[in-house]
Amino acid sequence: MTMLLQQLINGLFIGSVYGLFAVGYTLVFGVLDILNLAHAAIFTLGGLVALWLVECAGLAIWPAFALSVLFCGLLGLLLNRVAFVPLRRRADTYFSGLISSIAMAIILESAALGIFGARTVRFPANTMAIHIWHFGDVIITSLQIYIVLVVGFLMVGLTQFLKRARVGKAIRAVAENERAARLLGINVDGIIAFTFFISSALGGAAGILFGLYFDAMSPDMGRSIELKGLAVIVLGGMGSIPGAILGGLAFGLSEVLTVALTGSSNLRDAVAFTVLFAILLLRPSGLLGRARIREA
Amino acid sequence: MRKAKGWQGISLPAFIILALMLASLIPAAAFGGEVKIGFVLSMTGGSAAYGEAQKNGAQLAVDEINANVGVDAVKIQPIYDDDASTPQQGINVFNKFINADKVAIIIGPTLSSTAKATDPIAQQAGVPVLAISNTAKGITEIGDFIFRVSLPEAVVVPNTVRAVRERFGIKKVAVLYGNDDAFTKAGFDAFKKALGENDIEIVSEQTFAKGDRDFSPQLTQVRGLNPDAIVVSALVDEASGIVSQARRLGIPAKVRIIGGNGFNSPALIKNAGEAAEGVIVGASWNVTSTNPLNQQFVFAFTKKYGTAPDQFAAQAYAGVKIAYEAVRSAGSTLDRRAVRDALAGIRDMDTVLGKFSFTAGRDAESSPVVQEVTAGRFTAWGE
Amino acid sequence: MNYLSQFYAVYGSLLNFIGINSLLALSLYVTLSAGQLSLGNAAFAGIGGYTAGILTVNFNAPFLVSLAAGSLFAGLAGLVLGLPVLRLRGVFLAMATLSFGEVVRIVAVNLTITGGAEGLIGIPNKTKTWFIYLVLVLVSFFLSRLRWSRLGWGFESIRGDETAAAAMGVNTTYYKTIAFTIGALIAGLAGAMYAHLNFLITPREFGFSMAVQLLCYNIVGGMRVWYGPILGAMLLTALPEILRGIGIVAGPVRLCVNGVILLLVILFLPNGLVSLFPTRKGRGKVASNLLSPKETKDNLSPEKG
Repeated sequence: MTMLLQQLINGLFIGSVYGLFAVGYTLVFGVLDILNLAHAAIFTLGGLVALWLVECAGLAIWPAFALSVLFCGLLGLLLNRVAFVPLRRRADTYFSGLISSIAMAIILESAALGIFGARTVRFPANTMAIHIWHFGDVIITSLQIYIVLVVGFLMVGLTQFLKRARVGKAIRAVAENERAARLLGINVDGIIAFTFFISSALGGAAGILFGLYFDAMSPDMGRSIELKGLAVIVLGGMGSIPGAILGGLAFGLSEVLTVALTGSSNLRDAVAFTVLFAILLLRPSGLLGRARIREA
Repeated sequence: MRKAKGWQGISLPAFIILALMLASLIPAAAFGGEVKIGFVLSMTGGSAAYGEAQKNGAQLAVDEINANVGVDAVKIQPIYDDDASTPQQGINVFNKFINADKVAIIIGPTLSSTAKATDPIAQQAGVPVLAISNTAKGITEIGDFIFRVSLPEAVVVPNTVRAVRERFGIKKVAVLYGNDDAFTKAGFDAFKKALGENDIEIVSEQTFAKGDRDFSPQLTQVRGLNPDAIVVSALVDEASGIVSQARRLGIPAKVRIIGGNGFNSPALIKNAGEAAEGVIVGASWNVTSTNPLNQQFVFAFTKKYGTAPDQFAAQAYAGVKIAYEAVRSAGSTLDRRAVRDALAGIRDMDTVLGKFSFTAGRDAESSPVVQEVTAGRFTAWGE
Repeated sequence: MNYLSQFYAVYGSLLNFIGINSLLALSLYVTLSAGQLSLGNAAFAGIGGYTAGILTVNFNAPFLVSLAAGSLFAGLAGLVLGLPVLRLRGVFLAMATLSFGEVVRIVAVNLTITGGAEGLIGIPNKTKTWFIYLVLVLVSFFLSRLRWSRLGWGFESIRGDETAAAAMGVNTTYYKTIAFTIGALIAGLAGAMYAHLNFLITPREFGFSMAVQLLCYNIVGGMRVWYGPILGAMLLTALPEILRGIGIVAGPVRLCVNGVILLLVILFLPNGLVSLFPTRKGRGKVASNLLSPKETKDNLSPEKG
């Protein structure tokens, strides 16, 4: 294949965005055992709000990025308060949490549709100056470098935070055993809220990077990534952050290579879902997940 | 442990049915002296860019007609509905227009894919359909009630390919097309045939689907093959992505991008930005055409909406005028067959598209043009 | 009589959709009543629909034969899928069935025999409204009887607490597989009828959105009794038309209303709208455990530590 190296590089960059998105999913799952299906809607809103800030409020991209990420974090707090907290006492909280996250996803998507319109939009052409470097036949753009830097920075920051900071350790404690954490005096409800804040902030960041990379955003851009995100976290291991990144990279690569090999994008998702299916059957804990699922 | 009484669970559904029945009692307004025209346009979904332009063009025509005809003449009552760029929704809207609103004529739908599902219904019900943007094969062949204002790809594309080969001496191209849409597939077939007839070699055929955002795998493959040009048959969202990513992936500007009818929207230029410079598209209409009716139209449209019209708006505008002419000469707002026959009889009518007639196959008879994006606008090649 | 035919001309299509969606909702109800959260019923409907459509279009099969074949083929797929997949619990089962659904959709997009991405066209309109409702009545009757049969008790025990049921000697694998397969059969039948309704079917209609919709019908209507899903399907299918009547057309508001209804139901009426109706036991205060009350954090999925 003439352009294998270039394809691999492209795949890695896309994969890192998927990974960032998946980390948000896996964080909430690790702490709460809940799949937050509204994550994709926050991803969408993150991108669209950043666009609005750049286009209408005249901000430069990086301040807009920061503000939008903050906004998404706050949205995560709202999501937690409205959709998950009232259900916490229920015996079937995981199922009903799933459903209420679906409901919130629908509401958030309708908000995106109503506020931003149905069309596909993009960041204005001069949002980021893009430099292109040639290494032989391979091209790398400054945008790709930025994406990797941002994702890397966020990931390292997150991991260190969870390892060192008090709040980070508290989050891990709650993920480990909620009852015990509560007994130890940890403010579990506050920790959960904070987890949602981080998770949604990361999701929003992924949305902005996605919009910058592909020059296309629309209210339904979450649809395509939502299922992929699920596949990524299962592959990487639910609850594992490095797993999510690894899974994201693997997915990005497999997507790009499938299309490059077949010359068509038809089978791209088929590979992803077949892999997901196989993992669920063979090794449900994923690559880096903890322990096994209790089976019948 | 008794189970709940089943009939009590029926009371709510019964209420819903009752509510629907009451709602349908509200009579659909039926003024005398008005002709109902149903517009099935994509206001949401991937083709919303086209649908919005079409609605604007159509409404302008409706307003002009209603304002300028005499007090006793028939006015147009337009009814707009959204087909969400999907066949299912298109079918729902068609059924509503045919059975509930009882329109005299349907204008639309936006996509050829939708039309293939919806037009047979209109044909069966004997309601004339005037397509204003379908350019795939097999549309007018559905039946004698289906007419088309837009030039099919099979007519526009050979003209484009021939002109490009003459001007640039192109020998080999790569082709990218969407394989999940009737229009983009028809475009691909037309391109393939025209390329063959012009002795241009196709070094690669790559496909993609509607909703795809990442074209880097296909474009990277293409870059490695060094074609003289890239031919793309896509709808506008994918077209914008392909054009902007192509340049970003390092495909030089001298490798021209040649597009089909899906490119004919300012949304392309807006979304692809500078990358769109030099893109070549065939069309059935160009904004700079010196036809006096067209210049008036462009002026009025720009004044009302703040931007210049695109081909979709122009064809919608022309479609409304043609439909109205048919209704007028049929002398009836309700006799659908008479309207159909009047449509078929239209000859040499002056429209923004030039002198317009329907062919025997109910397609449009006119000459295509070749355009190039220069300084952010579609400029016609003088010819 | 004229009024009725006028009503039918306008709303006939809607009545058809309500009927089909009710059947699809019931297909999911069966699996849910055994405690299995399956998101694959949309795919089973698709399998049924395509099989029936292909038989009719390519082989001129009689209507009932196509329907039967569609349903059976979907049921077979359910059986085959169920065997490996039903070991999984909760959200993992949901994801496995979901990925199955996506693979089915992608296969439909890629095969020429299914018409590719544009779908299968030219299917004659053979499904009539009375037929849909006849089937619906029969299936409802069957399911209402099922609940109080031995199978139904088996399902209920698994839904209550699967581990306890297994410990008590209930053959959980057997019951779960049966529930799954019955659900697939019904979904396949509904899909087959749907295929003969509107001249065409496309892969997009049987994807993730539809799977979520079916879940919503069950949640909103109520999953504990057979007429709950029907109620949910009726309300949510008719909702766009009702909204259109008060001036809200397709767009953000309609979408938002759907989401809000789902949210309100899950927060305040966890047993769905049927819990608003008094039962012989008294006003709908049934314990709010949709699936299993024992699915607590500690034993849901990957064990901690």
